Amino acid sequence: MTEERAEHRAVISGVGQSEIGRQVDRSGLQLTLDAILAAVADAGLTLDDVDGLAMFPGGGVANLPGYANGNLYEVHDALGVTTTWRQGQVEGMSLPFYGAAMAVATGQARHVVVWRTVKEGSAARGAGGRPAYGSTKPAAEGPNAWLLPVGMLSPVVQVAPYAMRYLHDFGATREQLGWIPVTQRAHAALNPDAVYRDPLTIDDYLAARMISTPMCLYDCDVPADGATAIVVSAADTTADLRAPVRIECMAGVVDQRPAWDQWQDFSRVGHATAAAMWARTDLRPADVDVAQLYDGFTIEVVWWLEAMGFCGVGEAAAFVEGGTRIALDGELPLNTWGGQLSGGRLHAAFGHTAEAVRQLRGEAGDRQVAGCEVAAVTNVGVLEAGAALLTRF
Amino acid sequence: MTVPGIPPAVTEETAPFWDAAREGRVVVERCTACGAHGFPPRGICRSCRGREMEWVEVTGPGVVYSYTVNHQRWLPDLEVPYTVALVDLPAHPGVRIAGRLHGEPVIGGEVDFGVEEGPGGFAVPSFRAR
Ligand SMILES: [Zn+2]
Repeated sequence: MTEERAEHRAVISGVGQSEIGRQVDRSGLQLTLDAILAAVADAGLTLDDVDGLAMFPGGGVANLPGYANGNLYEVHDALGVTTTWRQGQVEGMSLPFYGAAMAVATGQARHVVVWRTVKEGSAARGAGGRPAYGSTKPAAEGPNAWLLPVGMLSPVVQVAPYAMRYLHDFGATREQLGWIPVTQRAHAALNPDAVYRDPLTIDDYLAARMISTPMCLYDCDVPADGATAIVVSAADTTADLRAPVRIECMAGVVDQRPAWDQWQDFSRVGHATAAAMWARTDLRPADVDVAQLYDGFTIEVVWWLEAMGFCGVGEAAAFVEGGTRIALDGELPLNTWGGQLSGGRLHAAFGHTAEAVRQLRGEAGDRQVAGCEVAAVTNVGVLEAGAALLTRF
Repeated sequence: MTVPGIPPAVTEETAPFWDAAREGRVVVERCTACGAHGFPPRGICRSCRGREMEWVEVTGPGVVYSYTVNHQRWLPDLEVPYTVALVDLPAHPGVRIAGRLHGEPVIGGEVDFGVEEGPGGFAVPSFRAR
């Protein structure tokens, strides 16, 4: 591809994370600062180099206890930086590094830090279980007005009918799809920062309590406490960077009705985004060495496997069955950090991006995939969607 | 007894829906220019972008697009399990409404339409398997 792409004017230069766990007894601000300082040092930069800040979500979103933490201005002030670009993101993020890449590609900033901090683990514990979505507000607003009052009180309940329809239409079974959380747990066992590292078997999966049919406990990501920060730098600063990673291509398309109850075709989730991404690169699915696919729920991995062309529509269950293809030594190592299902719900593909960067640098420790040169990262799928390939610099 | 849950925030666009539901009717928008139906109500036609919308009462049957049986107590006092379905209305193309389903849930199965008591004194959509 000789045509210049905007994303080629940006690199991911640093990733950093706070302590991650089911419950970390420190404030969201402290976790945020830990992650930012680690990411900036990881990039080979200092805070004096940083001139852009972005966070997801911005301060205005609080549908779930522990979901939103802090305020961009508070972090800005704490860090004592001067910025030329800022973004508090809610709708339209696509991928963690999407907006930041646009900012550095257009010269609005040179080094942008973007972060996501969750305290949902502590909040869930405080509520005596995973609380209802929207329970921080007295009434259900916007699209939630049609969901929460009829008992669709969590994203689990909202996505479950589409998982049910997937099993129905394609003859897939829970036992087949269970290989996704089971295999990811094996990866988490090699990640010292993962929330759950004990072995998980298919029998454990099938015996787990049902949350909302057909989705059981292990089909849902793990509410966690922790912060992830990512530094995005202008590509012409690479001489100053320790270990940058290229953004080969990225895209984010919302083509279906962006409301949990109104998707027209559950079998096409992510397809428009993936097609737009593949149109921006000469690489093909077979070139991908690791796949960090968004896994708020098992079924989202299924959709992304198919949308990205790693297998055909309706074929994901057979693709993952037995776990060999998606294991660390398989043809498509999947969510090598454990994903959100075992690594923790760091949310919005921040954990996935951090892992992709570490794999491409050869810094993934015991879970390192040999010869990793191309990593796929995807985010959500319908309401918001993003897909990218990151490559070794 | 009050139904545990989170009531809807009522807006200029949605007040007629909730008012009708209290009278036992489920209404959706219809475009006076092209006849397309719309839900949720937004005051604009998603097909022709016309701004003149009128309310029509839905007629059944509905067809279950899919469903889930929720077992998790997301709120204190929430009685579980219960079934929630996404129901398409063939007589109103493009309209799908979520609600609790009573009776045996079957993808593609026909359901009758109605309302039931919801949180905050609201009446909310409700389905019964045929
Ligand atoms: Zn119209």
